[in-house]
Amino acid sequence: MVRLLKIELRKALSSKTFWILSGLYMLVIATVLFGVQGFLDNIVSSTGNDSPVDIPSVSVYRLPDIWHNLTFIAGFFKIILAVIIIITITNEYAYKTIRQNIIAGLSRADFLKSKVLFIFLISLSATVLLLILGLILGFINTIQPDFSGITEKMIFLPAYLLEVFSYLCFAFMVGFLVKRSGIAIGLMLLYAFIIEPVINYRLPSGFEGYMPLKSINNLIDIPNTALMQLFGVQFRNYISLSDVILVLAYTTLFLLISHLVLKKRDL
Amino acid sequence: MTRTILTIDKLSKRYGKIRALDELSLTIEKGNVFGILGPNGSGKTTTLGIILSVTNPNSGSFSWFGRKPSKQDRKHIGAIVETPVFYPYLSAVKNLKIYADIREVPYKEIERVLSIVDLTGRKNSRYNTYSLGMKQRLAIAAALLGNPKVLILDEPTNGLDPRGIAEIRKLIIQIAREGITIILASHLLDEVQKICSHVAVLDNGRNIFTGQVEDILGDSLQVEIGSRDNNAMLKAMDDIPEIISCEKEGNFYIATLKDGFHSTDLNQALFAKGISLSHLALQKKSLESHFLELLKNNGKTA
Repeated sequence: MVRLLKIELRKALSSKTFWILSGLYMLVIATVLFGVQGFLDNIVSSTGNDSPVDIPSVSVYRLPDIWHNLTFIAGFFKIILAVIIIITITNEYAYKTIRQNIIAGLSRADFLKSKVLFIFLISLSATVLLLILGLILGFINTIQPDFSGITEKMIFLPAYLLEVFSYLCFAFMVGFLVKRSGIAIGLMLLYAFIIEPVINYRLPSGFEGYMPLKSINNLIDIPNTALMQLFGVQFRNYISLSDVILVLAYTTLFLLISHLVLKKRDL
Repeated sequence: MTRTILTIDKLSKRYGKIRALDELSLTIEKGNVFGILGPNGSGKTTTLGIILSVTNPNSGSFSWFGRKPSKQDRKHIGAIVETPVFYPYLSAVKNLKIYADIREVPYKEIERVLSIVDLTGRKNSRYNTYSLGMKQRLAIAAALLGNPKVLILDEPTNGLDPRGIAEIRKLIIQIAREGITIILASHLLDEVQKICSHVAVLDNGRNIFTGQVEDILGDSLQVEIGSRDNNAMLKAMDDIPEIISCEKEGNFYIATLKDGFHSTDLNQALFAKGISLSHLALQKKSLESHFLELLKNNGKTA
């Protein structure tokens, strides 16, 4: 397993594209997460002036709520990681290295395994990045947090890991099926932002949460801030087991499809 | 124990309506330098793709070293199919480290294979800065990682300049001397003739001839002859039983001679009959004429 991961890392770590996109991701995440409080404060203060009710100020960074808030916000940017994954797999086709890897002595299953390990490592790194940012922001903005005050809602971190991993497995499958980076990225965006939302809209009520990307995004619901409560909306502030099972099932399906295609395909 | 390296049994492969391989069978023994010869589109690369497990056959089977194909056995087969394939943004050394990890070979092997192909000086340059000849040599280096028992080469001199061609051929012959079995696919007859000990001729996905290169070349001798009076010469030749056949080609005649009957013998025999030749040139029957003959015959039966 270490060997397979090593192979994959050697391919990625010297690639300029990989570093540019990863750097972009880290930059975007850090900027958004550090800036989101100021952005919200701005909205609250500007609308608060002529609002009949008192708009409560929102504290994004207070431990332990910060885990829910940050994972929810970061979830919007996993698309950048998805692009990285698509490029890594489509490059193997463009360079024909997938073929040469098998010829040299990887089994097709090994090849898939090495990619999945890489996807997991990327997801884990994204989660660790959030953990670090969360701890920094949390400690700065929380008055005397105790241990349980820090860890209480940390369950959102593994949920975020699953969210990213599953989403990247979807991107991997698309890249794998399509083989060409441009078409694969376009297709993924088309599906994520148009096709699936349209299908969801057409589905009878009660079923809309079961589509693949929707269920992945549902893992972490909108944070239940005081602001939201003001509107009388109640969002789920926990991770539901049935969501986790559904997402795990979809992830398995993505990988299974990739596996079957790889098995049948001439390289 | 077994000397058989590769057995191919009735492999067939279709791409839509096109039959790329049609029940191809082949056996390759240890130590052969085996040429797979055929025109473009005859199924050479498809065959190599199948025996390297990257192309799935529609039917038929093959075995390496008498066993079912496995990734473990592929680690002892070095292969370059079509063009050299590497990660363009990585240096030679980093590329080879990936292949060393795949083949579970220690990194110290890398220096050895790079020196065999004479790329040590450029080992840290990115692959996409290499010339075609260097790329081809790096591909051979990668194939040599882990001391393979078999080396598979597909049109290894394609697109190279004469110097590059000479270098690669020298390298192949040098590798063959170390006892590594070589399978060489080529449409260049000259190449097969110069390098190979055995040959299989493919046409339309079928094996139309298998044998030793020597057998094809050594069974008879051809001489190109001419004289002032060709009619008298032809008449005189009728009485010489060692002449198998004689055909007009351009201004001269091509005579095929029996084994052991040399051009000097022919000259003497004709001189004794009062014919003096104005032209006499030795023509070893080339693989080319044999090859074209085979293709022609195959075309008739197909």
